[in-house]
Amino acid sequence: MNIIEAKNIHRKFGSGELITHVLKGIDIQIKDGEFVAIMGKSGAGKSTLMYQLSALDEPTDGEILIDETDIIGMKENERTAFRLNTLGYVFQDYALVPDLSARENVMMPLLMRGITWAEASKTADESLDNVGLKDKYLNLPGMLSGGEQQRVAIARAIAGKPKIIFADEPTANLDSISGKQIIDLLTCLHKDSGQTIVMVTHEPEYAKNCDRIINMEDGLIVDEKNPWINRY
Amino acid sequence: MLSIKIGLFLGFRQIQRSNPWTTILIIFVMMLTFLNLIAVSGILVGLIEGAERAVRENSLGDIIISPLDEEDHILETVSIIRELEAYPEISAYSVRYNGNATLEANYKERRDLSGERDTAAVIINGINPKQEDEMSGLSTLLRDGEYLRDDEEGYILVGAYYLKEYAENFGDIFDTIDAKTGDTVRLSIGDISKEFTIKGIVESKVDEINLATFIPEREFRRLFSRQDRNAEQIVIRTATPEINAEVSKNLKNDGMSDYAKIQTYEEGLPKFLIDIKKTFNVLGTFIGSIGIVVASITIFIIVFINAMSRRRHIGILKGIGIKRSAIEIAYVIQAAFYALLGSFLGAVVTYAILIPYFDKNPIQFPFSDGILSADPEVTFWKFVILFIITLIAGFVPAWMIVRQNTLNSILGRK
Repeated sequence: MNIIEAKNIHRKFGSGELITHVLKGIDIQIKDGEFVAIMGKSGAGKSTLMYQLSALDEPTDGEILIDETDIIGMKENERTAFRLNTLGYVFQDYALVPDLSARENVMMPLLMRGITWAEASKTADESLDNVGLKDKYLNLPGMLSGGEQQRVAIARAIAGKPKIIFADEPTANLDSISGKQIIDLLTCLHKDSGQTIVMVTHEPEYAKNCDRIINMEDGLIVDEKNPWINRY
Repeated sequence: MLSIKIGLFLGFRQIQRSNPWTTILIIFVMMLTFLNLIAVSGILVGLIEGAERAVRENSLGDIIISPLDEEDHILETVSIIRELEAYPEISAYSVRYNGNATLEANYKERRDLSGERDTAAVIINGINPKQEDEMSGLSTLLRDGEYLRDDEEGYILVGAYYLKEYAENFGDIFDTIDAKTGDTVRLSIGDISKEFTIKGIVESKVDEINLATFIPEREFRRLFSRQDRNAEQIVIRTATPEINAEVSKNLKNDGMSDYAKIQTYEEGLPKFLIDIKKTFNVLGTFIGSIGIVVASITIFIIVFINAMSRRRHIGILKGIGIKRSAIEIAYVIQAAFYALLGSFLGAVVTYAILIPYFDKNPIQFPFSDGILSADPEVTFWKFVILFIITLIAGFVPAWMIVRQNTLNSILGRK
């Protein structure tokens, strides 16, 4: 069953003669429980595609169904609620709220869902335990390393058990060791719980654990492959 | 409700983690704004209230009995005085007789009979010195000399504005004589004259005192041939000002209003004084409102810069599903915190420091001892205005930033 179905996605920026056509008619289907990597050179449109699929941006043209919900034409508050209840995000540069502790960062989406403080706190602690940040609950983001901050971001993304996690170059700001740890974490998450993950990366090394790699070039999908085939 | 809960949480965390010096500075600005709003109008109104207080304490008391409109004197004054004695709520009263006369000084030394005489047209008050002192504290207003005694005759107290030495600042506004304490002066009422020794000089912020002379009532009635004992004014001091209206009503119910006009101090207050008070209040509020505008702009800029610098975090919060209203509330909470704490400190400074200070050390104005007047109810409503404007000043910039495109905020795009 496809959890994401996108047809003929176009995304243009600017107007008049200064218009930039970034996505030029993309069709993509992602199955429930699939771990997909979107790869491509800088400017290929991979992040732009992820923003369309993750309801952070709206395409100029095309259709997107996520978990059988048409997200095109949704009002802003509906999109916000949809993101809260269905999606999880891991951004390139952690994107944590600096005033909140690790636990509180993880709790935020849970509280917004109406979960009680005690329950949200318990769930947040469990998520932080899962990403190996036991004993760092009360640390502010500024007191954590880049890798630890990204793990908090992952804990925040998984705490609400979203249907899909979108990760936008989650290793871009990390050293190779921390980067590998984050990829391992996402891989474990996918293997253990069958979590659907859509990850944008430009590192082939990090994409090799995915179920499918989608290569983009100049706003179009040029190639799709299963990295497990012919591996051995 | 959920947005308020999340907004409160985010707002308090932002305050908690913000730079303490910046927070202190903002609260200090809010405190000054509150003080500006309360103190400026408070001092302007306090000028008039100080004058009112002085008139009440040194001249008119709490209840004033005066002649009916068609009469020159209070009818049945003796009966009224007898009635007043029976009122336990009345702590003091003074019966005043008054008339116009001419006061002349240096007439014995005058050699040139064709030259100008040293005279002044004066108002003479006939009083019972002891009763008057209990009522108005006249003896405390002596600038020089001694107070009158009941058992002596031939002495007069003269208001400072009738004496050249004290009234020279006023030029030729008032008739003045060149005399001092201990000098002999001649009081003339028509063809009747009598010599008096100036026993003391009285001076007050109340012009009615400075422009009056006082002699014992016995001598007054003799000089003015007032054998009926009907006075021009009876002023009453009550035990507490709160019961003035009730005492006034009781006096009227006792039938005194058939013989005299009975008014509380407030009822007898001249309209121009009420109008000045209102005008000063409006003026003070206007000046204070400039402070509110400045404070609201300050809050606007602070919240705008704060929200602008956190634009990306705002985008992320929206991205992970936090409602716009929750984020806006977080900034409104911050503005509310600054306004509440600043106003609270401003109120503490006003009521615990400034008002007691100005009560003890009034600002010296020619016509009053200026106090700081800050009616708690008026202060409360001014606080409410300041608070609401601050909330708006906090909300608008947050709204401007939060409404921006989520992805643009996250990516730092314009």
